[in-house]
Amino acid sequence: MTDVTMIVNGQTRSASVPPETTLLQLLRDNFNLTGAKLGCDVGDCGACTVIVDGMAVNSCLMLAGQVNGRSVTTIEGLATRERLHPIQKAFEDNGALQCGFCGPGAIMASKALLDENSDPDVREIRDALSGSLCRCTGYTKMIEAVQEAARVLRSEERNQITHART
Amino acid sequence: MKPFGYVAARDAQHAIALLAEHGAAAKILAGGTDLLVELKDTQRPPGIIVDISRAQDLKDIVLSDEGLRIGTLATHSEIMRSAVIRDLCPALIEAAHSIGAVQTRNLGTIGGNLITCVPSMDSGPALIALEALVTVASAKGQRQMPLASLFVGPRKTSLKPGELLIDIVIPKLNLGKPAAFQKFGLRKGQALALVNAAAAFWVDGKGAFAASRIALGAVAPTVMRAPKAEAYLEGRKVTDEAMAEAGRIAATEAKPISDFRASADYRRDLIAVLVQRALANAHARVKTKTKELVP
Repeated sequence: MTDVTMIVNGQTRSASVPPETTLLQLLRDNFNLTGAKLGCDVGDCGACTVIVDGMAVNSCLMLAGQVNGRSVTTIEGLATRERLHPIQKAFEDNGALQCGFCGPGAIMASKALLDENSDPDVREIRDALSGSLCRCTGYTKMIEAVQEAARVLRSEERNQITHART
Repeated sequence: MKPFGYVAARDAQHAIALLAEHGAAAKILAGGTDLLVELKDTQRPPGIIVDISRAQDLKDIVLSDEGLRIGTLATHSEIMRSAVIRDLCPALIEAAHSIGAVQTRNLGTIGGNLITCVPSMDSGPALIALEALVTVASAKGQRQMPLASLFVGPRKTSLKPGELLIDIVIPKLNLGKPAAFQKFGLRKGQALALVNAAAAFWVDGKGAFAASRIALGAVAPTVMRAPKAEAYLEGRKVTDEAMAEAGRIAATEAKPISDFRASADYRRDLIAVLVQRALANAHARVKTKTKELVP
Protein backbone atom coordinates (compact mmCIF):
# COMPACT_ATOMS: atom_id res chain seq x y z
CA MET A 1 0.00 0.00 0.00
CA THR A 2 1.08 3.59 -0.58
CA ASP A 3 0.36 6.18 2.09
CA VAL A 4 -0.56 9.57 0.74
CA THR A 5 -1.31 12.89 2.39
CA MET A 6 -2.24 15.91 0.34
CA ILE A 7 -4.17 19.14 0.52
CA VAL A 8 -7.43 18.79 -1.35
CA ASN A 9 -9.50 21.96 -1.77
CA GLY A 10 -7.71 23.49 1.22
CA GLN A 11 -8.13 20.51 3.54
CA THR A 12 -5.50 17.94 4.47
CA ARG A 13 -6.59 14.48 3.37
CA SER A 14 -4.83 11.14 3.85
CA ALA A 15 -5.36 7.65 2.52
CA SER A 16 -3.62 4.33 2.18
CA VAL A 17 -4.16 2.92 -1.30
CA PRO A 18 -2.66 0.27 -3.60
CA PRO A 19 0.24 1.75 -5.67
CA GLU A 20 -1.71 1.35 -8.91
CA THR A 21 -4.42 3.79 -7.73
CA THR A 22 -4.71 6.87 -9.93
CA LEU A 23 -5.29 10.34 -8.52
CA LEU A 24 -8.72 10.24 -10.16
CA GLN A 25 -9.64 7.00 -8.35
CA LEU A 26 -8.32 8.41 -5.08
CA LEU A 27 -10.44 11.55 -5.42
CA ARG A 28 -13.60 9.73 -6.47
CA ASP A 29 -13.45 6.50 -4.48
CA ASN A 30 -11.54 7.49 -1.33
CA PHE A 31 -12.38 11.17 -0.91
CA ASN A 32 -15.85 10.96 -2.45
CA LEU A 33 -15.14 13.90 -4.76
CA THR A 34 -16.97 12.74 -7.87
CA GLY A 35 -16.84 16.01 -9.81
CA ALA A 36 -13.81 14.95 -11.85
CA LYS A 37 -15.08 12.39 -14.34
CA LEU A 38 -13.66 9.19 -15.76
CA GLY A 39 -13.94 9.56 -19.53
CA CYS A 40 -11.32 8.06 -21.81
CA ASP A 41 -8.89 7.08 -19.00
CA VAL A 42 -5.90 7.70 -21.31
CA GLY A 43 -5.42 11.47 -21.12
CA ASP A 44 -7.28 12.47 -24.27
CA CYS A 45 -10.67 13.78 -23.13
CA GLY A 46 -9.84 16.01 -20.15
CA ALA A 47 -13.01 15.10 -18.17
CA CYS A 48 -10.77 14.20 -15.20
CA THR A 49 -8.88 17.53 -15.20
CA VAL A 50 -7.94 18.87 -11.76
CA ILE A 51 -5.35 21.42 -10.68
CA VAL A 52 -2.20 20.11 -8.94
CA ASP A 53 0.16 22.77 -7.58
CA GLY A 54 -1.34 25.34 -9.93
CA MET A 55 -1.25 23.20 -13.07
CA ALA A 56 -4.13 21.60 -14.95
CA VAL A 57 -3.45 17.87 -15.21
CA ASN A 58 -5.31 14.74 -16.22
CA SER A 59 -5.90 13.02 -12.88
CA CYS A 60 -6.31 9.68 -14.71
CA LEU A 61 -2.62 9.90 -15.70
CA MET A 62 -1.16 10.41 -12.23
CA LEU A 63 -0.61 7.80 -9.59
CA ALA A 64 -1.90 8.80 -6.16
CA GLY A 65 1.65 8.37 -4.83
CA GLN A 66 2.94 11.07 -7.18
CA VAL A 67 0.64 13.61 -5.54
CA ASN A 68 1.77 12.87 -1.98
CA GLY A 69 2.52 16.18 -0.26
CA ARG A 70 1.06 18.30 -3.04
CA SER A 71 -1.99 20.52 -3.32
CA VAL A 72 -5.02 19.56 -5.40
CA THR A 73 -8.01 21.68 -6.41
CA THR A 74 -11.08 19.98 -7.85
CA ILE A 75 -14.34 21.42 -9.15
CA GLU A 76 -15.76 20.95 -5.63
CA GLY A 77 -13.24 23.54 -4.40
CA LEU A 78 -14.63 26.40 -6.51
CA ALA A 79 -18.14 27.32 -5.34
CA THR A 80 -18.85 28.53 -1.82
CA ARG A 81 -22.13 28.21 0.05
CA GLU A 82 -22.93 31.76 -1.00
CA ARG A 83 -22.14 31.67 -4.68
CA LEU A 84 -20.81 29.88 -7.72
CA HIS A 85 -17.26 30.66 -8.76
CA PRO A 86 -17.27 33.35 -11.50
CA ILE A 87 -16.12 30.76 -14.06
CA GLN A 88 -19.00 28.43 -13.14
CA LYS A 89 -21.40 31.38 -13.26
CA ALA A 90 -20.14 32.44 -16.68
CA PHE A 91 -20.44 28.87 -18.02
CA GLU A 92 -24.03 28.78 -16.74
CA ASP A 93 -25.00 32.24 -18.02
CA ASN A 94 -23.53 31.60 -21.45
CA GLY A 95 -25.01 28.15 -21.94
CA ALA A 96 -21.46 26.84 -22.27
CA LEU A 97 -22.43 23.33 -21.21
CA GLN A 98 -25.13 21.01 -22.46
CA CYS A 99 -24.76 17.45 -21.17
CA GLY A 100 -22.13 18.76 -18.77
CA PHE A 101 -19.90 15.68 -18.61
CA CYS A 102 -16.83 17.63 -19.77
CA GLY A 103 -17.80 20.59 -17.57
CA PRO A 104 -15.75 19.98 -14.41
CA GLY A 105 -12.65 19.36 -16.52
CA ALA A 106 -13.25 22.28 -18.89
CA ILE A 107 -13.90 24.62 -15.96
CA MET A 108 -10.74 23.50 -14.14
CA ALA A 109 -8.71 23.89 -17.34
CA SER A 110 -10.19 27.40 -17.67
CA LYS A 111 -9.35 28.18 -14.05
CA ALA A 112 -5.72 27.11 -14.51
CA LEU A 113 -5.55 29.42 -17.55
CA LEU A 114 -7.12 32.42 -15.78
CA ASP A 115 -4.98 31.95 -12.66
CA GLU A 116 -1.93 32.41 -14.88
CA ASN A 117 -3.28 34.81 -17.49
CA SER A 118 -6.01 37.24 -16.43
CA ASP A 119 -6.70 38.48 -19.96
CA PRO A 120 -6.24 35.63 -22.46
CA ASP A 121 -7.04 36.11 -26.14
CA VAL A 122 -9.18 33.63 -28.07
CA ARG A 123 -6.13 31.76 -29.32
CA GLU A 124 -4.90 31.25 -25.77
CA ILE A 125 -8.35 30.13 -24.60
CA ARG A 126 -8.60 27.63 -27.46
CA ASP A 127 -5.16 26.31 -26.55
CA ALA A 128 -6.16 25.92 -22.90
CA LEU A 129 -9.40 24.13 -23.82
CA SER A 130 -7.87 21.87 -26.47
CA GLY A 131 -7.44 19.10 -23.90
CA SER A 132 -11.13 19.17 -22.93
CA LEU A 133 -13.18 17.32 -25.49
CA CYS A 134 -16.80 18.50 -25.72
CA ARG A 135 -19.26 16.89 -28.12
CA CYS A 136 -22.18 19.22 -27.35
CA THR A 137 -21.24 22.87 -27.52
CA GLY A 138 -18.85 23.34 -30.40
CA TYR A 139 -16.73 25.36 -27.94
CA THR A 140 -17.89 28.83 -29.05
CA LYS A 141 -20.05 29.37 -25.96
CA MET A 142 -17.27 28.02 -23.77
CA ILE A 143 -14.78 30.48 -25.20
CA GLU A 144 -17.27 33.31 -24.63
CA ALA A 145 -17.80 32.10 -21.06
CA VAL A 146 -14.07 32.12 -20.34
CA GLN A 147 -13.82 35.65 -21.75
CA GLU A 148 -16.71 36.79 -19.55
CA ALA A 149 -15.26 35.06 -16.48
CA ALA A 150 -11.95 36.77 -17.16
CA ARG A 151 -13.70 40.18 -17.23
CA VAL A 152 -15.55 39.43 -13.97
CA LEU A 153 -12.42 38.17 -12.22
CA ARG A 154 -10.42 41.21 -13.34
CA SER A 155 -13.07 43.62 -12.06
CA GLU A 156 -13.29 41.71 -8.75
CA GLU A 157 -9.52 42.01 -8.47
CA ARG A 158 -9.69 45.76 -9.13
CA ASN A 159 -12.43 46.17 -6.50
CA GLN A 160 -10.36 44.28 -3.95
CA ILE A 161 -7.40 46.55 -4.61
CA THR A 162 -9.60 49.63 -4.23
CA HIS A 163 -11.03 48.20 -0.99
CA ALA A 164 -7.57 47.55 0.34
CA ARG A 165 -6.59 51.15 -0.33
CA THR A 166 -9.63 52.74 1.31
CA MET B 1 -4.39 -1.60 -13.52
CA LYS B 2 -2.75 -4.86 -12.50
CA PRO B 3 -0.83 -4.51 -9.21
CA PHE B 4 2.79 -3.33 -9.16
CA GLY B 5 5.24 -2.03 -6.55
CA TYR B 6 5.99 1.67 -6.18
CA VAL B 7 8.95 3.61 -4.86
CA ALA B 8 9.66 7.33 -5.20
CA ALA B 9 13.22 8.55 -5.79
CA ARG B 10 14.36 11.65 -3.88
CA ASP B 11 16.95 12.74 -6.45
CA ALA B 12 19.01 11.51 -9.40
CA GLN B 13 21.48 9.58 -7.20
CA HIS B 14 18.66 7.82 -5.39
CA ALA B 15 16.93 7.03 -8.69
CA ILE B 16 20.11 5.42 -10.09
CA ALA B 17 20.55 3.39 -6.88
CA LEU B 18 16.94 2.20 -7.05
CA LEU B 19 17.34 1.21 -10.71
CA ALA B 20 20.53 -0.73 -9.88
CA GLU B 21 18.75 -2.47 -7.01
CA HIS B 22 15.69 -3.53 -9.00
CA GLY B 23 17.30 -4.16 -12.42
CA ALA B 24 14.99 -5.35 -15.16
CA ALA B 25 11.99 -5.47 -12.80
CA ALA B 26 11.97 -1.66 -12.59
CA LYS B 27 10.13 0.71 -14.89
CA ILE B 28 10.77 4.44 -14.65
CA LEU B 29 7.88 6.84 -14.10
CA ALA B 30 8.69 10.41 -15.21
CA GLY B 31 5.62 12.34 -16.42
CA GLY B 32 3.50 9.20 -16.69
CA THR B 33 1.49 10.37 -19.70
CA ASP B 34 2.66 7.38 -21.76
CA LEU B 35 3.51 4.97 -18.95
CA LEU B 36 0.13 5.06 -17.22
CA VAL B 37 -1.66 4.34 -20.48
CA GLU B 38 0.70 1.39 -20.97
CA LEU B 39 0.16 0.13 -17.41
CA LYS B 40 -3.62 0.29 -17.81
CA ASP B 41 -3.32 -1.77 -20.97
CA THR B 42 -0.89 -4.48 -19.94
CA GLN B 43 -1.58 -7.90 -18.45
CA ARG B 44 2.04 -8.15 -17.30
CA PRO B 45 2.94 -5.04 -15.30
CA PRO B 46 6.52 -4.37 -14.19
CA GLY B 47 7.59 -5.51 -10.71
CA ILE B 48 8.15 -2.00 -9.46
CA ILE B 49 7.61 1.55 -10.63
CA VAL B 50 10.52 3.85 -9.79
CA ASP B 51 8.89 7.28 -9.62
CA ILE B 52 11.56 9.86 -10.50
CA SER B 53 9.08 12.73 -10.91
CA ARG B 54 10.21 14.39 -7.66
CA ALA B 55 13.93 14.47 -8.48
CA GLN B 56 14.31 18.25 -8.73
CA ASP B 57 17.93 17.92 -9.91
CA LEU B 58 16.69 16.31 -13.13
CA LYS B 59 14.49 19.28 -14.01
CA ASP B 60 16.98 22.11 -14.55
CA ILE B 61 17.35 23.98 -17.81
CA VAL B 62 20.80 25.63 -17.70
CA LEU B 63 23.44 27.13 -19.95
CA SER B 64 26.91 25.69 -19.41
CA ASP B 65 30.25 25.57 -21.23
CA GLU B 66 28.95 22.53 -23.05
CA GLY B 67 25.83 24.24 -24.31
CA LEU B 68 22.21 24.21 -23.21
CA ARG B 69 21.48 21.40 -20.77
CA ILE B 70 17.84 20.36 -20.43
CA GLY B 71 17.12 18.03 -17.52
CA THR B 72 15.28 14.89 -18.53
CA LEU B 73 12.30 15.83 -16.31
CA ALA B 74 11.73 19.28 -17.81
CA THR B 75 8.08 19.19 -18.83
CA HIS B 76 6.89 20.42 -22.21
CA SER B 77 5.23 23.36 -20.40
CA GLU B 78 8.49 24.25 -18.64
CA ILE B 79 10.31 24.18 -21.97
CA MET B 80 7.66 26.50 -23.45
CA ARG B 81 8.15 28.94 -20.57
CA SER B 82 11.96 28.87 -20.59
CA ALA B 83 13.36 32.29 -21.54
CA VAL B 84 16.75 30.84 -22.47
CA ILE B 85 15.17 28.26 -24.81
CA ARG B 86 12.94 30.95 -26.35
CA ASP B 87 16.05 32.99 -26.99
CA LEU B 88 18.44 30.31 -28.25
CA CYS B 89 16.37 27.34 -29.49
CA PRO B 90 12.83 28.52 -30.30
CA ALA B 91 12.26 25.43 -32.48
CA LEU B 92 12.15 23.40 -29.26
CA ILE B 93 9.29 25.58 -28.05
CA GLU B 94 7.37 25.01 -31.27
CA ALA B 95 7.86 21.26 -30.80
CA ALA B 96 6.87 21.31 -27.11
CA HIS B 97 3.76 23.39 -27.86
CA SER B 98 2.61 20.92 -30.51
CA ILE B 99 2.43 18.03 -28.03
CA GLY B 100 -0.97 16.86 -26.73
CA ALA B 101 -2.78 19.58 -24.81
CA VAL B 102 -2.05 21.69 -21.72
CA GLN B 103 -2.80 18.83 -19.33
CA THR B 104 -0.36 16.48 -21.07
CA ARG B 105 2.29 19.19 -21.47
CA ASN B 106 2.13 19.93 -17.75
CA LEU B 107 2.98 16.32 -16.88
CA GLY B 108 4.86 14.96 -19.90
CA THR B 109 8.64 15.35 -19.89
CA ILE B 110 11.14 15.78 -22.69
CA GLY B 111 13.09 12.73 -21.50
CA GLY B 112 9.93 10.64 -21.37
CA ASN B 113 8.96 11.70 -24.88
CA LEU B 114 12.37 10.54 -26.17
CA ILE B 115 12.45 7.29 -24.16
CA THR B 116 8.94 6.20 -25.18
CA CYS B 117 10.48 6.41 -28.65
CA VAL B 118 7.40 6.38 -30.84
CA PRO B 119 8.22 7.36 -34.44
CA SER B 120 5.86 10.35 -34.26
CA MET B 121 7.44 11.89 -31.12
CA ASP B 122 7.40 15.67 -31.42
CA SER B 123 10.51 16.30 -29.28
CA GLY B 124 12.79 14.34 -31.60
CA PRO B 125 13.15 16.20 -34.92
CA ALA B 126 14.16 19.64 -33.60
CA LEU B 127 16.66 18.06 -31.18
CA ILE B 128 18.12 15.90 -33.95
CA ALA B 129 18.34 18.91 -36.29
CA LEU B 130 20.27 20.73 -33.55
CA GLU B 131 22.51 17.66 -33.06
CA ALA B 132 21.59 17.17 -29.43
CA LEU B 133 23.56 14.86 -27.17
CA VAL B 134 22.08 12.82 -24.34
CA THR B 135 23.65 11.85 -21.04
CA VAL B 136 22.87 8.42 -19.65
CA ALA B 137 23.75 7.42 -16.10
CA SER B 138 23.81 4.14 -14.21
CA ALA B 139 25.48 2.81 -11.07
CA LYS B 140 28.56 2.19 -13.27
CA GLY B 141 28.92 5.83 -14.34
CA GLN B 142 27.84 8.22 -17.06
CA ARG B 143 28.12 8.27 -20.82
CA GLN B 144 27.16 10.83 -23.42
CA MET B 145 26.09 10.02 -26.97
CA PRO B 146 24.31 11.63 -29.91
CA LEU B 147 20.54 11.55 -29.42
CA ALA B 148 20.20 9.65 -32.71
CA SER B 149 21.97 6.63 -31.21
CA LEU B 150 19.37 6.45 -28.44
CA PHE B 151 16.71 5.57 -31.02
CA VAL B 152 16.67 1.91 -32.08
CA GLY B 153 13.14 1.33 -33.37
CA PRO B 154 9.51 2.00 -32.53
CA ARG B 155 9.27 2.00 -28.71
CA LYS B 156 12.84 0.71 -28.51
CA THR B 157 15.89 2.61 -27.24
CA SER B 158 19.51 1.64 -26.68
CA LEU B 159 19.16 2.09 -22.88
CA LYS B 160 19.95 -0.98 -20.81
CA PRO B 161 18.24 -1.95 -17.54
CA GLY B 162 19.60 0.22 -14.76
CA GLU B 163 20.30 3.15 -17.08
CA LEU B 164 18.61 6.51 -16.74
CA LEU B 165 18.52 9.33 -19.30
CA ILE B 166 19.51 12.34 -17.21
CA ASP B 167 19.80 15.23 -19.63
CA ILE B 168 19.75 16.46 -23.20
CA VAL B 169 22.44 18.90 -24.35
CA ILE B 170 22.27 21.23 -27.33
CA PRO B 171 25.94 21.79 -28.19
CA LYS B 172 27.17 25.34 -27.73
CA LEU B 173 27.99 25.64 -31.46
CA ASN B 174 24.33 25.17 -32.33
CA LEU B 175 22.84 27.63 -29.84
CA GLY B 176 21.14 30.37 -31.82
CA LYS B 177 21.36 28.37 -35.05
CA PRO B 178 18.27 29.32 -37.07
CA ALA B 179 15.88 26.38 -36.83
CA ALA B 180 12.18 25.66 -36.98
CA PHE B 181 9.75 22.80 -36.34
CA GLN B 182 6.62 21.87 -38.26
CA LYS B 183 3.93 19.33 -37.46
CA PHE B 184 0.88 18.19 -39.32
CA GLY B 185 -1.78 16.31 -37.35
CA LEU B 186 -5.49 15.85 -38.00
CA ARG B 187 -6.26 18.54 -35.39
CA LYS B 188 -4.19 21.18 -33.63
CA GLY B 189 -4.62 19.70 -30.17
CA GLN B 190 -4.42 16.11 -28.95
CA ALA B 191 -3.28 14.69 -32.26
CA LEU B 192 -0.26 12.62 -33.19
CA ALA B 193 1.86 13.88 -36.05
CA LEU B 194 1.10 12.40 -39.44
CA VAL B 195 4.47 13.91 -40.25
CA ASN B 196 6.69 16.30 -38.34
CA ALA B 197 9.90 17.94 -39.47
CA ALA B 198 12.62 20.26 -38.31
CA ALA B 199 15.29 22.17 -40.17
CA ALA B 200 18.35 24.09 -39.03
CA PHE B 201 21.02 25.88 -41.04
CA TRP B 202 23.42 28.78 -41.01
CA VAL B 203 23.63 31.28 -43.83
CA ASP B 204 27.25 31.83 -44.84
CA GLY B 205 28.86 35.07 -46.03
CA LYS B 206 27.77 34.42 -49.62
CA GLY B 207 24.12 33.94 -48.68
CA ALA B 208 24.32 30.16 -49.04
CA PHE B 209 23.14 27.29 -46.85
CA ALA B 210 25.76 25.98 -44.45
CA ALA B 211 25.65 23.04 -42.03
CA SER B 212 22.05 22.30 -43.06
CA ARG B 213 20.23 19.72 -40.97
CA ILE B 214 16.82 18.25 -41.73
CA ALA B 215 15.05 15.76 -39.46
CA LEU B 216 11.75 13.96 -40.04
CA GLY B 217 9.36 12.15 -37.72
CA ALA B 218 6.54 9.62 -38.22
CA VAL B 219 7.90 8.55 -41.60
CA ALA B 220 10.40 5.84 -40.58
CA PRO B 221 10.85 3.44 -37.62
CA THR B 222 12.63 6.25 -35.72
CA VAL B 223 13.18 9.97 -36.21
CA MET B 224 15.49 10.25 -39.22
CA ARG B 225 17.77 12.76 -40.90
CA ALA B 226 17.40 13.53 -44.61
CA PRO B 227 21.07 13.49 -45.72
CA LYS B 228 20.41 13.85 -49.46
CA ALA B 229 18.29 16.95 -48.93
CA GLU B 230 20.93 18.34 -46.56
CA ALA B 231 23.68 17.71 -49.12
CA TYR B 232 21.63 19.36 -51.87
CA LEU B 233 21.36 22.54 -49.80
CA GLU B 234 25.00 22.72 -48.75
CA GLY B 235 26.67 25.72 -50.40
CA ARG B 236 23.56 26.52 -52.47
CA LYS B 237 22.19 30.06 -52.42
CA VAL B 238 19.24 30.45 -50.04
CA THR B 239 16.15 30.72 -52.25
CA ASP B 240 12.52 29.61 -52.05
CA GLU B 241 13.16 27.23 -54.95
CA ALA B 242 16.07 25.56 -53.15
CA MET B 243 13.89 25.08 -50.06
CA ALA B 244 11.09 23.54 -52.10
CA GLU B 245 13.52 21.21 -53.90
CA ALA B 246 15.05 20.13 -50.56
CA GLY B 247 11.53 19.22 -49.43
CA ARG B 248 10.97 17.13 -52.55
CA ILE B 249 14.30 15.35 -52.05
CA ALA B 250 13.55 14.69 -48.37
CA ALA B 251 10.25 13.08 -49.41
CA THR B 252 12.18 10.51 -51.46
CA GLU B 253 14.41 9.61 -48.51
CA ALA B 254 11.70 8.69 -46.01
CA LYS B 255 10.04 5.31 -45.65
CA PRO B 256 6.53 6.18 -44.49
CA ILE B 257 3.91 3.52 -43.89
CA SER B 258 0.21 3.59 -44.66
CA ASP B 259 -2.01 3.25 -41.63
CA PHE B 260 -5.44 4.38 -40.44
CA ARG B 261 -4.15 7.94 -39.96
CA ALA B 262 -2.69 8.53 -43.42
CA SER B 263 -1.37 6.79 -46.51
CA ALA B 264 2.33 6.63 -47.30
CA ASP B 265 1.77 8.80 -50.39
CA TYR B 266 0.02 11.47 -48.37
CA ARG B 267 2.82 11.42 -45.83
CA ARG B 268 5.41 11.85 -48.63
CA ASP B 269 3.49 14.86 -49.92
CA LEU B 270 3.42 16.27 -46.40
CA ILE B 271 7.19 15.84 -45.99
CA ALA B 272 7.85 18.02 -49.03
CA VAL B 273 5.58 20.76 -47.70
CA LEU B 274 6.68 20.63 -44.06
CA VAL B 275 10.40 20.59 -44.87
CA GLN B 276 9.97 23.61 -47.14
CA ARG B 277 8.01 25.43 -44.41
CA ALA B 278 10.53 24.52 -41.71
CA LEU B 279 13.36 25.84 -43.88
CA ALA B 280 11.43 29.04 -44.64
CA ASN B 281 10.59 29.62 -40.96
CA ALA B 282 14.20 28.96 -39.96
CA HIS B 283 15.25 31.47 -42.60
CA ALA B 284 12.85 34.06 -41.17
CA ARG B 285 14.78 33.69 -37.92
CA VAL B 286 18.01 34.53 -39.76
CA LYS B 287 16.43 37.71 -41.05
CA THR B 288 15.11 38.70 -37.63
CA LYS B 289 18.55 38.25 -36.15
CA THR B 290 20.15 40.43 -38.84
CA LYS B 291 17.49 43.10 -38.46
CA GLU B 292 18.10 43.23 -34.72
CA LEU B 293 21.80 43.75 -35.32
CA VAL B 294 21.28 46.74 -37.66
CA PRO B 295 20.57 49.76 -35.46
